[in-house]
Amino acid sequence: MSARRLRLSVPVRHPAADAAASRFIAPFSRRELFGLGLAGALGVSYSGWLPRLAAAAAGKAAAKQGKSCILLWMNGGPSQTDTFDLKPGHANGGPFKEIATAAPGVRISEHLPGIAQQMNDLAIIRSLSTKEGEHGLATRLMLTGYAAQQAAVRYPSLGSLLAKELGSDESDLPNFISLSPFRMVDAGFLGPNYAPLTVSGASNDPNTRANLALEDLVPPRDRGDAALKDQFDILRFMTRQFDENSSAEAVQAHRASYAKAMRMVETQARKAFELDQEPAELRDAYGRNRFGQGCLLARRLVERGVAFVEVTLAGAPGNVAGWDTHADNFNQVKTLSQTLDPAWATLMKDLRDRGLLSSTLVVWMGEFGRTPKINPNGGRDHFPMAWSVVLGGAGIRGGQAFGASGADGLTPERAVSVASLYATICAALGVDPKKENISPEGRPIGLVDRGGEPIKELLS
Amino acid sequence: MARGLAIAIAVLGALVSTAFGQRPAAASAPRMTSQELAEWIDARFAEQYRQTGLEPAAAVDDATFLRRLFLDLQGRIPTVAQLRDFLADQGSLKRPNYVERLVNADERPDRFARRTAEHQSRVWRRMMVPASAPGAAMAVQLEPWLTRQFAANTPYDEFARKLLLVSLPRPIAGAVPQPPPVSDSDAAAAVFQRAVGAQPENLASAYVRVFLGVRLNCAQCHDHPFTDWKRDDFWGIAAFFSGDGAKPAAPQPPPTIVADSTSGLAFSAKLLWAEKPLEQTPAGKSPRDVLAEWMTSPANPNFAATVVNRTWQYLCGRGLAGSVDDLDRVSPQERQVLDDLAKLFVESGFDLRWLIMGICQSRVYQQPYSNDPANEAEGFTHRPLKTLLPEQVFDSLEQALGLPVAKADNGPRFNGLRDQFVARMNEAAPESPADYKGGIPQALMLMNGQLTADATNLDSSRTLRAVVEAPFLKPEEKIETLYLAALTRKPAPQELEFLLDYYRRQPGEQERKQAFAQMLWGLLNSPEFVLSR
Repeated sequence: MSARRLRLSVPVRHPAADAAASRFIAPFSRRELFGLGLAGALGVSYSGWLPRLAAAAAGKAAAKQGKSCILLWMNGGPSQTDTFDLKPGHANGGPFKEIATAAPGVRISEHLPGIAQQMNDLAIIRSLSTKEGEHGLATRLMLTGYAAQQAAVRYPSLGSLLAKELGSDESDLPNFISLSPFRMVDAGFLGPNYAPLTVSGASNDPNTRANLALEDLVPPRDRGDAALKDQFDILRFMTRQFDENSSAEAVQAHRASYAKAMRMVETQARKAFELDQEPAELRDAYGRNRFGQGCLLARRLVERGVAFVEVTLAGAPGNVAGWDTHADNFNQVKTLSQTLDPAWATLMKDLRDRGLLSSTLVVWMGEFGRTPKINPNGGRDHFPMAWSVVLGGAGIRGGQAFGASGADGLTPERAVSVASLYATICAALGVDPKKENISPEGRPIGLVDRGGEPIKELLS
Repeated sequence: MARGLAIAIAVLGALVSTAFGQRPAAASAPRMTSQELAEWIDARFAEQYRQTGLEPAAAVDDATFLRRLFLDLQGRIPTVAQLRDFLADQGSLKRPNYVERLVNADERPDRFARRTAEHQSRVWRRMMVPASAPGAAMAVQLEPWLTRQFAANTPYDEFARKLLLVSLPRPIAGAVPQPPPVSDSDAAAAVFQRAVGAQPENLASAYVRVFLGVRLNCAQCHDHPFTDWKRDDFWGIAAFFSGDGAKPAAPQPPPTIVADSTSGLAFSAKLLWAEKPLEQTPAGKSPRDVLAEWMTSPANPNFAATVVNRTWQYLCGRGLAGSVDDLDRVSPQERQVLDDLAKLFVESGFDLRWLIMGICQSRVYQQPYSNDPANEAEGFTHRPLKTLLPEQVFDSLEQALGLPVAKADNGPRFNGLRDQFVARMNEAAPESPADYKGGIPQALMLMNGQLTADATNLDSSRTLRAVVEAPFLKPEEKIETLYLAALTRKPAPQELEFLLDYYRRQPGEQERKQAFAQMLWGLLNSPEFVLSR
């Protein structure tokens, strides 16, 4: 069933009518049905007047391939030795104990008991090997797949790359949403259409902050639907008047942001940001903190067809520097693990319960690992030589640990490059790793840097 | 690099001579007025156009000029009254005169000079600490000090020395940081050091970038891949910041810094473009004195050129040569005009006001923006669209909407609404003038936020009420007034036609009133409002 045909075939009047009409057309994907149900629930307040909404109701908003990616970004560089690659019995090991997981033979930190139960759907890479040990540059490397200094190319972030490959231009929600990012890596040369919507939480309103709400989504009360539509038409006219024929980047960026913002107001972002609609127990299970609630929001967004969601863990109660644990590493990692574990484990379970895990790739990574050797401050420093990344869900053969870092954690065995990690991510999502984008200078730039090959063992 | 080296040697020679640090002799020559500077700029550009065969675009009209000038100097758009007065003025020198007025005139109620200094301080603060830097929020505290410098027109070399030589009070463990002593009016300049992170390596890369347009920080860990900067260049500058700032009576060996605690690798203080480390610190001077003298010297190849390039970018949307933070990667030919202008700037006694006025009075400043980015990049025939800074957006809204500005009225400036607005805009603030980063949250705030809601409400909006209720205005005149208030121009015929048609289609009195609210909403949200043309 092509979404385009459906859109053309359903006369646009009222979502309830759309829902009724579409009952005669089958089969639908789960996601399309969700779109229909939601459109009905939206009620009449913002939905009666826009052709686009009908497209949404018809499931047009679902991702091109129905695949999504959730990136759990561990800001500061998490210690692999104290999470997924323990060294029990070695001087570098530290005090944490190793525990068994649901996957035979795969053992991880005692402070990640929930993740341990999910291990059959997760694959650890223990031999990622990179060359950048400075936060900003390493973040750029891991979030774009290219070394920042290679050339004067503005490399797009992973989120922008995948938003382009997996997302739909017709989607009601942006195809790339970043929840409380610490360092922004933007759409680079792909331009404003693939820039992330960042939900920053810089609000003055503590409720909004805690709930990761998107502010100002609702128009002032004194505007009726018809008036709002007219208002948008006037703005579209004025925008055309100003930018007709303009290829200035600033104008394009403004147009793209406003087009998306207007669409979100028209559809009320399909209630994605209304975490209050979730059962209290589920919200508790994720953890009542920004990262936990961010993971829950990520599920709601993926459910509505958002192609790429990034959730950043940059701190926890009693922890200010995130995973950058140069001192007091063990207390800090334990604290962070206690925030990470319930959120991520609940996310895996929740995605599975809703049938989304097979179409959603979950990636856990930071900008680098940390030195296996413990420094005099009880901390660990930056270490890009051999560290861990975890993949799970869509396209991934879970229940395994790939590669190793040697007895002392210093030497990668079956080393994995950033390019190969990117190739694996692409392959798991059904995206061709050989594909290229064309930069504004006319240069073909691969989604994956040269030399990257998918790791077959990791793919299902 | 060879040229830079030659100049550096000259500078090093100057270091040991007694003449160092004095004003250049040329300052005693009859001073060039800003109008003469404008003519000089236009003559140089005319020469360039002759050589390249390119044709500069015709100057913008009065209304566009005034909007541009107000945004660039006052940080806000002009009022309808200011615009009408300017349009009515028949004087042939009204543009250059208005430039002088906005820079120099400080009478109440407008306080033009004061506002220009305030806006300049925001622009400079962002140049010094970019919006993406961790210390960006803290850097806002630098603005009062910056405003004082710009309001007093402190010579730029002195301004830089104040920033370089201020010492950060040593933090006492566990103690609450104390405000700087009132006695030292320049102590507040230390905020800059805190905002960039007060380690020697952070100070080295920040000062060198801000004042010399050189990016050294990649050479912190490895020799720079694209330029000739080496680790001894980076750590050589960092070494100047390593000591306690003492000024011993006798010459001292140069300061050193340990770059890597595990290997114990140490570097000696060394100036950029110098082949060898410093031999000694002269008697009575701290290493930082030596660095400041070298950095702000008229003979430094990049000091004056960098500030001229930054000022040009601030006013015209992009640097006169290359990227303002990477001036060392520009060839001597490419920076010929810049270097000549920098020389004039040095001869003016590092007079920033004069430079700003001269640029704004030039014909080059009056070039229209181009719809085609290729036009902007080639030959300086057009200028790029400039994205308003967060404060410019707010202050322009305040102006367009007639929001209360007196403290007694508890308007947005005083009740926290402005801070909230600016904070949200800052999440996506432009890194350079031609850069628009605003995302969905910013668009939503302008569309649905409190400020816009009040502004487009028929009961609460001053501008709207004044327009809607005015019995003597015809509908087309009402539309025109909204355009003048928001966009500083009259509507084009097709715009008027479209909006009048919309107005006439409304079924009743209330809807017709509401139509003006919708038009104002559209104007405030249009790209033309947040992009300076």
